[in-house]
Order: sequence, then structure tokens, then C-alpha cells
Amino acid sequence: MKIRAFTKTYGARRVLDMPETELKAGGAYAVIGANGSGKSTLAKILAGVEKTDGKKDVGLGLRTGYMPQKCFAFRMSTKNNLLINANEPERARELMSFLAIEHLAGSPAHRLSGGETARMALARLLMRDYELLIVDEPTAAMDMESAVLAERLLARYREKTGCTLIVVTHSLRQAERLTDEALFFDSGRLVERGPTDEIISSPRFEETKRFIELYGA
Amino acid sequence: MQTAFEKAIELILSGDAELLNILGVTARMSLSSSIIALLLGVPLGLLLGAVKFRGRGLLIVINRTLMGMPPVVCGLIFYLFFSGVGPFRSAQLLFTVEIMVLAQVVLITPIVAGNMETYASSVAPAVRETARGLGLSGGKTFALLLNECVYQVFSAYLLAFARAIAEVGAVAMVGGAIAWKTNVMTTAIMEYTNKGNFSKGIALGIILLALSFAVNIALSLLQRRLSK
Repeated sequence: MKIRAFTKTYGARRVLDMPETELKAGGAYAVIGANGSGKSTLAKILAGVEKTDGKKDVGLGLRTGYMPQKCFAFRMSTKNNLLINANEPERARELMSFLAIEHLAGSPAHRLSGGETARMALARLLMRDYELLIVDEPTAAMDMESAVLAERLLARYREKTGCTLIVVTHSLRQAERLTDEALFFDSGRLVERGPTDEIISSPRFEETKRFIELYGA
Repeated sequence: MQTAFEKAIELILSGDAELLNILGVTARMSLSSSIIALLLGVPLGLLLGAVKFRGRGLLIVINRTLMGMPPVVCGLIFYLFFSGVGPFRSAQLLFTVEIMVLAQVVLITPIVAGNMETYASSVAPAVRETARGLGLSGGKTFALLLNECVYQVFSAYLLAFARAIAEVGAVAMVGGAIAWKTNVMTTAIMEYTNKGNFSKGIALGIILLALSFAVNIALSLLQRRLSK
């Protein structure tokens, strides 16, 4: 899978300068970096939610599923939020059960707590089989127990569908658990990439070292 | 003052024929104009708030300008268009309830559209991002956006009805406040006050406020029930 080089600018500020990058189909990638490093912008562009400068085609052309950092619940029941993506009640029940939100199936989704909304959004996303799955800080709003369940579910989904997984995260432990390779971004630039455990244990660049020191503590 | 209030209550309870006629004309005019304004303003507001197209910014500015149009200016324009020297004189609509409804639709539609536009523009980015992230079709995304805006329609209708029932400038100019024909509560209150007939004016004022209160309560209850 080849991502064509592109840039993204908001006003006068260039937030992302992405070089041509190859990803292995079926691989799992962590996108790591501090706030404002361009991680979420990259996720949005790859998902087709945002356009690049000059509206260039990044060249993926895959069936892509994307969970934004800020999850949105449609004004309907939790169960219907899942069914809106694919009308498969059995799959919806199974996903809600896995993420321990089955008891909220009939509740209005827009009244759920932040953590419950994130679990609902993940379950809703996984209602369909995608070739590329992009999740932006999927467990940031969840408690420890829910985060473990969510990570297990993502791993199981990847195994079952063979999709390529991109996880945008601040959590180095999560990156280690879920992905094989990591891409480290700083100020909109891809600084380094490599096997996740190697990037975390022996980063080559000063920016990466500083980030690992700060977030690995 | 106290006597005027007592007389007003008496008039309401006695079912005064003129009072009932005024109430009927008011109901016909304000219900028609507010519903038509809602039917036009809601889709227009959604379009302006949720769809990006060339000229959208200009249309929003024009709509916001029309939201503040003085009713007498609207009445004057309609008067000139439909009077004996106007281009639409053959329609013979001047001093009818129909032209009062038309003038009110022109006044109220921008308010409904502006209200919907503000709400839709605040909710559309999240709906669009989520729907696109799931890979949903454009049609499904629009249906989801409509679903998000359903409750705002109630607020928009309340605004439209409140404006319609309380409006006086435009309806007085194009309707002429003709007794038993185009006299509505607001124009009648002015007329009775000018004649010194305060009890009838107060009676109408009480009914006007009570009606507005009842519509607000009914719609708020319906909105609360639907949002559960």
C-alpha cells in the first residue's frame, strides 16, 4: 500500500508534510507524537474526512473505517447507532456484549457518558469489515477495564478481517500491544519509523527520544 | 383599570361575536404563515448550515439581513406590489387574509432559516465526520443530519408562531384591519385603544398572551416527550 506524498495547511500554518510512505497490507501501525504533531490530521486525510492541500488523491482507494478522536452519538438508541452502519442485529449484540454495553442497547446514545460513547462508537465502527481501519485515540475516554476490552476487540477484528490497522495514540504501551510498526511525528513531519518495540526502546532521533522519555514514564 | 379588566373577563366569558371573529382570523393567518414559513425555512436553513457551495456565505448574509427587516417595510413593499399601481394588482389580494399570510411568510421564513442554519452548522461537521468515517452514503448522512435537527424544528416553529401572532406592522398595512374581515388581535388592540375601548383591548391582550403561553407549553411538552 503506497501513500502518495502530500501536505496539509490550515491558514498560514503547515500542519503536516507527509512523504511518500509504504504500508504493508494487513499490518498494524501506531502513529505517535505529541499534541499538534499532525497525527489526527493524517488519520483524517487517510480516512477521506479531510482533504489535502490541492485536494490531491493520497492513492489508497481502500474500504476504510475511521473512528475520530471525538466520538459522536447519533440521536437514537445505542443499538440503532450500531445498526445504522450495518443492519446485522446479531453482530451488534455480540459487539455490545464484548464491550459491556449490552445493557445500554435501548438507551438514547446521546445521553451516554464519554467512556460509554467511545465504546459505542468502536462497536458501531466494527459492524462492518473494512480493508483499512483507522482509530484515533480509541481508548482515551475509557477506564482501564474498558480500554483492555477495546484493545482485545481491535486485535480480534484485525485477526478476523485481515485489515490494515492504524492506531493514533499517546500511549506507548497501547502502541506496543496493538501494533507492529510505529511512525513518530513531530511538528507535522514524519521523524522516524520502525518496529514499535525498537522505536520505544532505542529511538534514533532526539525528538523521538524526548517524546519517549516523557510519555514512557 | 380594574373595571377594564373585569369587563375584559366578561367579554371573554360571554363569547363576544366580534372577539370570536378576530380570534378566528388571527388563528387562520398566524397558523398558515408560520407553517408555510417552517416548510420553506427548515430546508433552506439546513442547506445553508450543512452544505458547502459557492455563494453560501453571501446567502447567509442576505438571510441575516432579511431577519431584521422591519415589518412596515415588508408591508410597504407588498402594498406597492399589490395596490392599483403595482405589478400584481390583477391578483386583487390587497386587504385580504391571503396577502397578510404572504407578507408574514416573507418576514418569518428568514428567521426560521437563520435559526436552523445556526444549529445545522454546529452539528453538521460531527455528523459528516462520523458518517464519512463509517463509509455511509450521502443520502444516509443527510437523513442522519435531519434526525439531529428534528428537535430544533420545534424551537424554530415556536419562533415563527410567536412572530406571526404578535406581528402588527405588515398585517396592518396590507390587511387594512377591516372589521369582520382582516382585523387580527394586534391590529384590533391598536384600534380599540385609539377608540378608548380599553376593555376590549385588554381582553384581546389577555387572549393573545394566553394563546402564546398555551402553544409554548404544548410544543415544549411534545418536544420533551419525543426527546425521551
